[in-house]
Amino acid sequence: MIFILSFAGAAALALALRLYFVLPIFSRRQRSTVDARKRKGKAVRNATQRMLCIVLGSGGHTAEMTRLLSGVDLDRYSRRLYIVGESDLISLDQIGVLESKRDGEKEEYFVGRVPRSRRVGQPWLTTPMSVLRCFRQVAWLMYRHLPDAVLCNGPGNCVVVCVVATIIRVLGVKRIPIIYVESFARVKTLSLSGKIMYLLADRFIVQWPDLLRQYPRAEHVPNLV
Amino acid sequence: MSVYVTVGSTGFDELVTAVCTRQFLQSLAARGFRQLCVQCGSSEDLFTPPSTESGAFGIAIESFDYTSSPQRFIEQADLVICHAGTGSILEALHSRKPTIVVVNHRLMDNHQSEIAQELSRRGYLVSTVVSGLADAVASGAYSKLIPYPNADPQPIGEILDEETLF
Repeated sequence: MIFILSFAGAAALALALRLYFVLPIFSRRQRSTVDARKRKGKAVRNATQRMLCIVLGSGGHTAEMTRLLSGVDLDRYSRRLYIVGESDLISLDQIGVLESKRDGEKEEYFVGRVPRSRRVGQPWLTTPMSVLRCFRQVAWLMYRHLPDAVLCNGPGNCVVVCVVATIIRVLGVKRIPIIYVESFARVKTLSLSGKIMYLLADRFIVQWPDLLRQYPRAEHVPNLV
Repeated sequence: MSVYVTVGSTGFDELVTAVCTRQFLQSLAARGFRQLCVQCGSSEDLFTPPSTESGAFGIAIESFDYTSSPQRFIEQADLVICHAGTGSILEALHSRKPTIVVVNHRLMDNHQSEIAQELSRRGYLVSTVVSGLADAVASGAYSKLIPYPNADPQPIGEILDEETLF
């Protein structure tokens, strides 16, 4: 009996330590600029063939994400994994538009259509079931592709994607950095996704300065969209 | 001069109704507008403008439910009136057209008004509610707005690069 308890205690301690060293919320690392790192003489890993996971959500989220992506050099992220809600046809369309401008010979992209983790207004009672369905599909996609980074900006799906990425990191499989950009519409308050993502994201970007007061770990970048 | 009204990808019953009223049309005419184009979304049945041009104060009116190219209509307009969705607001702001944003107070979680108020405070657009729309037009405040700065999403690319370099 004591043996089981002490084993459980040790496992819990090991997990807690692992989380402490791995989760970004506990990180006190300085954010250096790209230039500073180059100055330190570290080699830049081969920039092509990296895979970027882009989480798309309905309406305003996708419109904003399209604008944000115009600042990303997709030559450096020549492989892309889009995660969209299975009923989100508008976002599916947008992927088509975005990818039609890319060179299909040298680049590739995948589209993962996943069940929605939660519809707006869905009763919280049924939410665990829908979240699990979504979780399973997302876990399969993420484990299969193991992207080099996740970029997301708010829809419910992004929380599931990031929890999966975090588990992958905690298990020691791969460090997948998560970059979250809170919506342009959020001036004084964070969205529900944002509040959760604040704990999970490696970089948490807000577009309005008032949010820094409540969320000091965030980075304010104006005029992104 | 023409006005483009857009409700976005869903509907906005109160706005669609409001733009049919004599009060609104009169304000438009008084400010020199002669054309009104309304994107109604799912509220199209509520769009019941006056049947004669004289009833509409000489304003030619057209409408439709959805368009795949809202940019085209925004380009042609001299004034844009839109709902407070980020997509519509950004399209209007970047097109450098005078913009009146109408906040829908029926929506439960009204963080919509946060962005409308902030941008209005900074002088980039006029923010109002449905009941204040005719007055917002009549006041001409939309003609004293400052241009919205160009977007620069480069920092996102830089942050991504920083995180994936090592």
